Amino acid sequence: MTPVASDAKTRTKTPRRNDPPPLPNYIGNRKPWLNNTRRRSLTGWGFLLPAALLILFMSFIPMAQAFVLSLQTGRGTRLDFADPLWYNYQRLLSDEIFKLTLTNTFIYLIIQVPLMLTLALVLANLLNNPKLKFKALWRTAIFLPCAVSLVSYSLVFRTLFAGDGFVNDMLTGIGAIDSPINWLGQADTARFVIILGLLWRWTGYNMVFYLAALQNIDHSSIEAARMDGANAFQTFWYVTVPQLKPMIVLTAILSINGTLQLFDESWALTRGGPAYQTMSMAHYLYEVSFQKNPNFGYAAAISYVILMLVAILSFIQMKVGDKRD
Amino acid sequence: MTKLRSLPGYALLAFWALFSLFPLYFMVVSATNTSKDVLASRMLPGTALLENISVLFSTQNVVGAMTNSFLIAVGTTVLALAVCSIAGYGFEVYHSRGKDIVMAILLLAMMIPFAATMIPLFQLFARVGMVNSLWAVVIPMISTPFLILLFRQASRSFPHDIIEAARIDGLREFSIFARIYVPTMRSTFAAAAVITFMMAWNNFLWPKVILVNNSILTMPMLTANISAGYVTDYGVLMLAVLLSSLPTMIVFFLLQRQFAQGITGAVK
Amino acid sequence: MKSSAKLAAALTLTLPLALTLSACGSGGEAGGEGDGDNKLTVWTWDPAFNIYAMEEAEKVYQQDNPDFELEIVEVPWDDLQTKLTTIAQSQAFSELPDIFLMQNNAFQKNGLNYPDLFSDFSDSDIDFSEFPESVVEYSTIDDINYGVPFDAGTAVTALRTDVLEQAGYTVDDFTDITWEQYLTIGKDVLAKTGQPLLSGQAGSADIPMMMLQSAGASLFDDEGNPTIVDNEALEAAIDVYTQLVDAGVLIEVNSWDEYIGTIVNSNVGGTINGIWIVGSIQTAEDQAGKWGITNLPKLDTISGATNYSANGGSSWAISSNADVDLASDFLAATFAGSTELYDTILPKAGAVANWIPAGDSDVYNEPIDFFGGQPIFADVVAFGPEVPSNNTGAYYYEARDAVSTAMTQIMGGTDTATALGEAQANVEFAME
Repeated sequence: MTPVASDAKTRTKTPRRNDPPPLPNYIGNRKPWLNNTRRRSLTGWGFLLPAALLILFMSFIPMAQAFVLSLQTGRGTRLDFADPLWYNYQRLLSDEIFKLTLTNTFIYLIIQVPLMLTLALVLANLLNNPKLKFKALWRTAIFLPCAVSLVSYSLVFRTLFAGDGFVNDMLTGIGAIDSPINWLGQADTARFVIILGLLWRWTGYNMVFYLAALQNIDHSSIEAARMDGANAFQTFWYVTVPQLKPMIVLTAILSINGTLQLFDESWALTRGGPAYQTMSMAHYLYEVSFQKNPNFGYAAAISYVILMLVAILSFIQMKVGDKRD
Repeated sequence: MTKLRSLPGYALLAFWALFSLFPLYFMVVSATNTSKDVLASRMLPGTALLENISVLFSTQNVVGAMTNSFLIAVGTTVLALAVCSIAGYGFEVYHSRGKDIVMAILLLAMMIPFAATMIPLFQLFARVGMVNSLWAVVIPMISTPFLILLFRQASRSFPHDIIEAARIDGLREFSIFARIYVPTMRSTFAAAAVITFMMAWNNFLWPKVILVNNSILTMPMLTANISAGYVTDYGVLMLAVLLSSLPTMIVFFLLQRQFAQGITGAVK
Repeated sequence: MKSSAKLAAALTLTLPLALTLSACGSGGEAGGEGDGDNKLTVWTWDPAFNIYAMEEAEKVYQQDNPDFELEIVEVPWDDLQTKLTTIAQSQAFSELPDIFLMQNNAFQKNGLNYPDLFSDFSDSDIDFSEFPESVVEYSTIDDINYGVPFDAGTAVTALRTDVLEQAGYTVDDFTDITWEQYLTIGKDVLAKTGQPLLSGQAGSADIPMMMLQSAGASLFDDEGNPTIVDNEALEAAIDVYTQLVDAGVLIEVNSWDEYIGTIVNSNVGGTINGIWIVGSIQTAEDQAGKWGITNLPKLDTISGATNYSANGGSSWAISSNADVDLASDFLAATFAGSTELYDTILPKAGAVANWIPAGDSDVYNEPIDFFGGQPIFADVVAFGPEVPSNNTGAYYYEARDAVSTAMTQIMGGTDTATALGEAQANVEFAME
């Protein structure tokens, strides 16, 4: 153990040989408060401090203000506390448009998230194989969509799925359909385009997480499984996936969060159309705040509903998936 | 050793890669076409690239916007990696019930839509006179619960006995983090860097709001300017968007080997 | 790389960054009245149109005030609305510029909700009677003026003369007609040339709204109550619209880009929109000389119907953080007083004046080649004063969206009364 300068000052007795050496800041007979365990614990909390402080000021305080707002009604800056206090929340229950956006958002959540995560997992696993050729090529190609800015990808998708766009041309060309599909003009197909857009854009993103995680798992476990005679699928399912659990839980939470808060695609791809049929909750929130007659109290209430939904779902996720071994 | 069952694996990869690249191909091609052709979904490259370039650079401050976006993205990434990695490490390595509760509370912060906290946040910066500054753009983006969560989850697979060994060897806590954890978790840092850079680069709403007098422009703001006129030149727009997407692609390309490579023997 | 070296590297990267960030920051002079002397800041959108007009206005004003300076900041309308709302809600009025442009449709909403954003024009020299009443109405609240009308949203029927010729018609056949006649001719043109006469965005209420305004009707009454149900003019407008679509004379597309695409790629024989659409039309260089302009058909089943309407349009507002005297003097001398200004900006940008005296100048009567030599701008200025007023109110966008939704439902088969009833209910809900 490295002798510390303070030893010379504090050691008053020669320790007996069988006693453990005294702690560096041992003063007289008393055990110092700041022993190794406590110091370690404080350091541990210290590690969290910068991040936590930033979040406190940048997120929590605005969130608290938003909560107070959600209890107020009025337009613009003429806001007063509502009577009853939960008036905005009550109003949400009878808001047809909000209910529609809620349905839309859940449709996206239930269909898109599982598909995307499974796909990302499979792709990452494939890319992790040392024998794969052109790895860098595949990786870059699959990740590129998320590097593209929102404006462009929505314009591109809108053009491709237009009445006389490429997709229709191709489908009629190969005889799959008789007349062009009005992709963005009907609710179902418009939602499909959004889901397709989400899959296109975010699969690569999640793949990156899984690739990083795959690098951190122990290859010997996979080797062992292989030697025991397991095939590719079994190895994947019984050996790889359980070790990836923490990362799967992470991406699941992030995806749930991202999808429930979906704004970009609803805004840029379909403008929430046709007639609010693809609009997400966050998009509606933005409309109520900035495009319609500003009703910030109501918008804040919507945001808290979103928060509660995300919190509940994430909580379930963590309980179910995130066991520490 | 695992032999890649060639066909299904390659097929899926090829399909998804093509599917991913196709719209990008359209974007690149459109940047070389005239507005009219872009609207007609022309698939072949055209001859309007130089013209689009000259129109773009003469009507918009592209260099300025690229520089600003770059400063914001790099600044955010460096600071975010520093702040969130130690937090994630802290949550996992010094695990306690208390920390779990704190983590859950911090997670709540990312669950509220930004549009709702935007105005109180703006008010905060207005009160300290930091509106219209690049710092005001960067600071809210540094500490995200998501990055902290990423590092925490990644740390789950970091063997704790290494830490114990280091402690016995007399290393201080922060040294353990800096000298052992950071080099080992290189892949996580690389992934986090890519993700943060991308998010900071493409962030549209907050910079637009806080840089209220448009004296500083970011690339997303610039492309929004182009698409907002009465008459939009779609070829120029696609070019702007292409330029806007290049840095993220480059960062990814540079870092991808980092997060796809394994741990390189830092442990013995 | 050793981690301490890495740390050092990170720091060396961060430090210059930190310095640059703080240097680049505090560009925070909002440019409002803090400048004292002869300088104004303007927020507006569109370089080819509004910004260009402002630059020319600066030159005009500098003739008498050589040390006058104008700083023009490009801000897209959506952004501008967001910024104004953010500033107003956070009470950070010192961030406002001197002058900003505002969409006419949004004026009432902003004026009623955030009066603190504006300065009024009561002490200015501007003679508002030199502008069409309908346009000044948008920026008038409680009989006080808050805006100087600029960009005219005066609606026109733009037609491909070559397509018409093929079917045996001219632009005159479309002047001062009714919608019934338009439909008849449209069907004939379709049959003979295969070209629909109109395209529009599905689920967008633009065309019915223009029809509504042409009949002097609105979505709100004078007290601000929604009048979506029991609105004869609206029902007539929707009826005409449905007939147009059913007959194939109007094709619906799904986005703005597609709509522009139908025009520039010759998929339609014409369009009906605000005069500002000619900018987009003119990007199709191969169609030069093949267009003509006239007024709108009228909803003749409604009393008070006219052949004139508007879509969009904007006005200049003076902010509460402005050098009010300088700003109002500037606007009075340029946009509300300078024929020279309007003469300059017209040929280059096609920016048509709302200001009536501007229409007297020769420039306005110049024949425009793209439109077959027709002096379209003179025609449009003549249309201006004929446009009926329309009541927007603070809830205009809610009502407009509700009607758009109703349109989508009606086009999908729902009965008009039901759809409009739902729209009215939605608007009433939003107004609670």
